[in-house]
Amino acid sequence: MSTREPRPSPESSALISAHGLRKSYGRTEALRGASLELREGEILAVAGASGSGKSTLLHCLSGIVRPDEGVVTYGGEQLGLLPEGRLGELRRSDFGVVFQFGQLIPELTALDNVAMPLLLAGMRRGPAQQQAGEWLERFGVRGQAELRPGEMSGGQSQRVALARALVTGPRVVFADEPTGALDTLAGEQVMTALVHTARESATAVLLITHDAQVAAYADREVVMSDGVLRSGSDDVVGQEAARREG
Amino acid sequence: MSTRHVLLGLLAAGPCHGYDLKRQYDARFPQARPLAYGQVYTTLQRLVRDGLAAVDGTDSDGGPERTLYRSTDEGSRELALWTDQITAPAPFVTNEIFAKVVVSILVAAAGAPTGPDGRKPDAAAHLRAQRAAHMERMRELTALKTAPGADLSTVLSADYALAHLDADVRWMTTTTARIDTLTAEVNAA
Amino acid sequence: MKADIRIAWILARGSERREWWRASLTLIGALLATGSALAAVTVAAVSGQVSLPYAHGLLDRPGERAGVVFTLVLLLVPVLGFLGQCARIGAVHRYRRMAGLRLAGASPGQVRRIAAAESAIACLAGSSAGLALFLGLLALTGHTPRPVAWAGLVAVVVAVPVAAALVSALALRHVVAAPLEYARRTVPSAGRRAALGFLIAATSIALSALLLLFPVGRRVTPPVLLVLALVLLTGAGAIWAAGASAAFIGRTLTRRARRPAVLIAASRLAHDPWAAARTHAALLLVTVVAVGFVGVRAVLLDTLTDSARPMSLAFYTTGIDLAGSAVLVALAISACALAVGTAESLATRRRGLAAQAAAGVPHRVLAEAVLLETALPLAPALLLAGLGGTVVYVGYAMIVVTASVPLLPLLVPVAVLVLCLLAAATSLPLLRRAVNPAELRFT
Repeated sequence: MSTREPRPSPESSALISAHGLRKSYGRTEALRGASLELREGEILAVAGASGSGKSTLLHCLSGIVRPDEGVVTYGGEQLGLLPEGRLGELRRSDFGVVFQFGQLIPELTALDNVAMPLLLAGMRRGPAQQQAGEWLERFGVRGQAELRPGEMSGGQSQRVALARALVTGPRVVFADEPTGALDTLAGEQVMTALVHTARESATAVLLITHDAQVAAYADREVVMSDGVLRSGSDDVVGQEAARREG
Repeated sequence: MSTRHVLLGLLAAGPCHGYDLKRQYDARFPQARPLAYGQVYTTLQRLVRDGLAAVDGTDSDGGPERTLYRSTDEGSRELALWTDQITAPAPFVTNEIFAKVVVSILVAAAGAPTGPDGRKPDAAAHLRAQRAAHMERMRELTALKTAPGADLSTVLSADYALAHLDADVRWMTTTTARIDTLTAEVNAA
Repeated sequence: MKADIRIAWILARGSERREWWRASLTLIGALLATGSALAAVTVAAVSGQVSLPYAHGLLDRPGERAGVVFTLVLLLVPVLGFLGQCARIGAVHRYRRMAGLRLAGASPGQVRRIAAAESAIACLAGSSAGLALFLGLLALTGHTPRPVAWAGLVAVVVAVPVAAALVSALALRHVVAAPLEYARRTVPSAGRRAALGFLIAATSIALSALLLLFPVGRRVTPPVLLVLALVLLTGAGAIWAAGASAAFIGRTLTRRARRPAVLIAASRLAHDPWAAARTHAALLLVTVVAVGFVGVRAVLLDTLTDSARPMSLAFYTTGIDLAGSAVLVALAISACALAVGTAESLATRRRGLAAQAAAGVPHRVLAEAVLLETALPLAPALLLAGLGGTVVYVGYAMIVVTASVPLLPLLVPVAVLVLCLLAAATSLPLLRRAVNPAELRFT
């Protein structure tokens, strides 16, 4: 929908790679040496039980949180070396985020919520609203444009959140349990909308979920347990990751 | 699934021959095991024998001669009885995965001769590999149902399969988490 | 009742940090209220012509003493506003907890009593501390009040927690009636009623001050009544203006805004315009008084210097300065209330704010929205409050027939606006904490 810069580092197809990530909150070790590679345009599911460190992984990969140890590389840049301002800029322009809830501003209408990233990028209100309207249309929530998040159903507001995440034409969308609060049918609509758009625009998606039916929308799955990632079959991703005992 | 009742149901729309019945069956139930032509033929013969269906003549359409079948009144009654009946909710559970997990634990504990590559059976690894296989199949089914232009029959039958595979995956997840307790229990018994 | 107090105590001990904030701030508010009420009672208990060695003899004659008492009682108005803001800290959490108690099988009466006990405990601690401080002060000055004053002091110390308990029980009546609704609610209820309640409370405080000064049988002078009515009326007008302009500005700017911060602030105003009125009610009343006071002071000093009686000039300026410091204290308390209110609003929304920041909304935009949200409805309301104060002092200038009407008071609303922005800005460090990604972990 928006123009893209030419992609850097053509020799590697990895868009984001993380190596040996560790992160503790107090005495809780959320990540214990997690490594991962997200390729260009790939939809990758991170599955795992609640509390296994999935969300912390997403926060580290998207530069919301700095890991205690380990390196995250995006487009040839180490996120750990970037100043906070540049990280914010990246999250506005190159990344889109969708959480289970909370990312919409409760006082703004759906239309203004979706237009917000464009306004932040300096676009004028009129064109921003028009573009936002097109995205709402795409996700089948045009009729809800003038409603506030509290006035919509869960599925509708999640589709608005998706529109908001995708409106800037990001290269990666980070989705943390985007269907967590939805019933199966509403979740299906949200996932279908996300996957179709991502494939069309070759946007990579990092999808965090504990639900196998949601993970099945992805091209590939890694499973997180005890702060370490395993690829779908047996092997732990990354060498320095501690093997689970037993 | 009761093939005879489904075929009776397909005949309710009007007389039809065996080959068409098979095609209709496969189209209506996309994710089911495809019906063998031989099975259609024997089922139809049994329906005729039981008086539920009757031969309605033949047509050739320029090709080889084919027998047309139709449903009888008896057949309609039988069909009504069948559709009214509630399907028994999983009376017996055949859980091959569980059987393999338990057997793996037993074999590993017995210190029995190892497999061809010298590895001991590992129940947890088996569950992980099985999960990966399930996920692969679930991705296929999801791709099938989200493909542009997928009809509702495809979507619904994929959904049915997905829900069942999902149930397996959930079960495997909880089993993996409790594998140590299970090992202790199996070995104690 | 014993069981209820025990539950209240268990709840208080198990509560999170914000609860302690509320309890501490409420304690401070109760202390302030007790302090000014105790001072008022003590001064009011002095009768007849005496010679007290304080403040250039300002307390010697009944007439001036009446003025001092009146001022002290009126100080309760901003303190009340402050207490109102304190009560809103963690209000959502508290409502949910009470609704939870109700759903767990507590009777409506029990919930009311538990809530009342909670508030009463904090206020009793505050009023006791206030009493201790005040007694210390009395000991320092060497003044011993008459026995009747002692009864008054005890009455004040008891009345503060009792009033708090009553208000608390009253505030929770909706929670008691419809617990399910509040168990799910995420935003405290709107402020129109709170603003109205505040006005009624302020009016009754002023009336009781009048009753205290002019017991039945003594005639209230019409000018006093007129000024009081004028202050309350313009105060009410300013509060209404804050709400109405918040609604209007919110609606208009939501449509026209170009900058993200303006859009966010305007939408919040349009969504709950009376929140502004509620937060700023006490401040606006104080502004009316402040403008009027600065004007009257200038006119008075002008006439006094003209008549040139140096002996009494010191007496007058002491009185004026005392009143001036009362106005300043009132302004300071109101500014604190505004700071508390802003901080509370940020704390309530912290998960949403964290999600905004995670999505890349710059900190600067969020901070700007917070300040705009304060400034936008306050500007027109302060203008109106300034006008009200101006009417008061221009009226006074016409009565004493002075040639020059001072213009300095017109700067007061501007100063108050700056003060408010500074007060709101004190919560910005909290914004930085609120957008901590750790808030995202519990989604």
